[in-house]
Amino acid sequence: MALINFINAAILAGTPLLLATLGEILTEKSGQLNLGVEGMMYMGAIASLAAAWYSEQYLAPGAIAAVIATVFAFLAGALGALIYAFLTITLRANQNVTGLTLSIFGTGFAKFFGEILSKKAGGYITCAEPTKAAFAKLDLGGLSELPVLGKLIFSYNFLVYLAFSAALLLALFFRKTRVGLKLRAVGEDPAAADASAIAVIRYKYLATVIGGGLCGLGGMYMSMVNQKGIWVPECVSGYGWLAVALVIFATWSPLRAIYCAIIFGALTILSLYLQIPGLDLQLYGMLPYLVTIFVLIFTSIKQKREFMMPKSCGVNYFREER
Amino acid sequence: MKKILAILMALLLCLSLFGCEQGKEEKQEEAQDGKQEAEVTDEEVTNEGESLTLENIKVGFVHISDPSDMGYTYNHDLGTQKMMETLGLSKDQIINQFNVKEGASCETAIRECAEQGCNLIFITSFGFEDYAIKVAKDYPEIEFCHATGYKAKSSGLPNMHNYFGKIYEARYLSGIAAGLATTSNKLGYVAAMPYAECISGFDAFFLGAKSVNPDVEMVVMYTMSWNDPTKEAQVTQALINQGCDVIGQHCDSTAPATTAEANGVLHVGYNSDMTEAAPNASITSAVWDWSRYLIFAINSYLEGKEIPVDWSEGLAEGVCDITPLSKNAAPGTAEKIEEAKQAIINGELEVFAGPLKDNEGNIVVEEGDVYVDEQSAPAFDKVLEGITVFD
Repeated sequence: MALINFINAAILAGTPLLLATLGEILTEKSGQLNLGVEGMMYMGAIASLAAAWYSEQYLAPGAIAAVIATVFAFLAGALGALIYAFLTITLRANQNVTGLTLSIFGTGFAKFFGEILSKKAGGYITCAEPTKAAFAKLDLGGLSELPVLGKLIFSYNFLVYLAFSAALLLALFFRKTRVGLKLRAVGEDPAAADASAIAVIRYKYLATVIGGGLCGLGGMYMSMVNQKGIWVPECVSGYGWLAVALVIFATWSPLRAIYCAIIFGALTILSLYLQIPGLDLQLYGMLPYLVTIFVLIFTSIKQKREFMMPKSCGVNYFREER
Repeated sequence: MKKILAILMALLLCLSLFGCEQGKEEKQEEAQDGKQEAEVTDEEVTNEGESLTLENIKVGFVHISDPSDMGYTYNHDLGTQKMMETLGLSKDQIINQFNVKEGASCETAIRECAEQGCNLIFITSFGFEDYAIKVAKDYPEIEFCHATGYKAKSSGLPNMHNYFGKIYEARYLSGIAAGLATTSNKLGYVAAMPYAECISGFDAFFLGAKSVNPDVEMVVMYTMSWNDPTKEAQVTQALINQGCDVIGQHCDSTAPATTAEANGVLHVGYNSDMTEAAPNASITSAVWDWSRYLIFAINSYLEGKEIPVDWSEGLAEGVCDITPLSKNAAPGTAEKIEEAKQAIINGELEVFAGPLKDNEGNIVVEEGDVYVDEQSAPAFDKVLEGITVFD
């Protein structure tokens, strides 16, 4: 039973990481290294809560508010990514610096609007019961009551299933579709892609913006699921950075991201379920990053193309420079 | 051609500047004509030191977070507002530095307060203390008051002070509510850091619960951060998975309350009334009323009295208390709490009264003895029998 609880908690902790990681993988596959994941998550977190809060007042609480919240979380993340895309793709600003700036901007953005909303709400910004219920465990009837599988597979909120299907879809997109192939070509060698009549700029923009939207959904998970629809200023608390590390850990593959996210989730909550004598609490916090370092060492020794970062990732493309 | 243009531009700039200056002077003259009283108060302020009153004193605050945390800083800021109301201070006499990190940047924040002319500076987070002492050395005419710290005495500086309160008394009361509410007899406690402040807090909480429910046990888990809402939610979930059905907390966010609510268990909070955040889970919260110290310190300063180097008061003086019980409290809770509260106020009941054993079976307070903190900062760091700590 304890093990099942642990796996359940690991999947719940891994889901926001998975969403943000998928977004970042999509972005990096187009050759854009967006370090602003934390910022975009924050933007998604506040946008979804604000959207839910307002739609509760003007429409109805419950599923409708949840859908609107999801849409706005995606849009907010996409907006952050759009700023980044404009600066790096069109104006060709340094990608690392722009991404870091976006992190700071997004965090401030969320805290600023959180403060304004708190003043409006006169205390806590809280969602009503039906909206909270929409983000709670899904009621799958008999399935959720199955002895082991019920808790292991059929006891999550809708975002968990959304994240896992998004990972599968993204994997199919990269491997099986023509557009996915072209996108990968853009990330590997934009000049060659450009020469073969692929619209490099459009691909980069779309991948970055949609990737940002996925990060926004990850942010929504932090405020709507983890904090149960209450604005808590520190709600994302570094998960964006974990997601950036997770992209490396998953070696840029959406499929591997699934189990890597669960492993990361498990590592973040390990200390709560398993006491290793002699291991200090502070050390547990290091585990995800230690694992990432090992993966980096391992892949750089192995030098397998499949595990490498897209070749042009982090380098701006300028057509006239060829 | 270019040169001529540049000269022309420069001339234009000078002219426009001159124009602006003139406009300003005119305005100032108007203002002076209208209000001669204003001038008088201005002069008073420039006569520094001698005529400090409630009208011109300046008070600075350095906070780790901002009031939107609905936790520690929120609670402290409520105290500031109550103090302003009681003493009649205006907004521009208060300088608040919010979201200051516990590190070298807090020294800058404290210095900024000092440079902006604050007469008293309240520094509210534990990790600020060393920096506060550093700055206090450079500004002997300014009084520095640091909450939760313990180094003022040993620093030897006459303008450095510590303050805190006997929050464990309020926690004892909130523990009674938890002890009566539990049905599994297993309490969970989300603690921030393995420091004496947290340990003495959950010990008191546990002793309160045990006083009404002798069979109760408690599990404690640390988040290793004062404010990490995600971790707090995960810790709460882990405690509930272990069978805890009332969750107590010593950390900043509402995450334990909302997670408890989502799992259908109860919750006892800290720093703010959390019934709004978790209407079906929250029973009560232990809270501070910092205004009492703020008013005391400011008045002492103005009257030229010395501010004590180490200040601590508790339930009896109203520095800490619990919020009104919600509908989730077990029947009879109010009476039990009132009884204990009166006993603490009368001095009949001491929270850390012997015999107390730690969770390894060693006696830490002998029968008949009472543990008393030597200074305002809590120092009791023994985990008591019946408490399991995950670390």
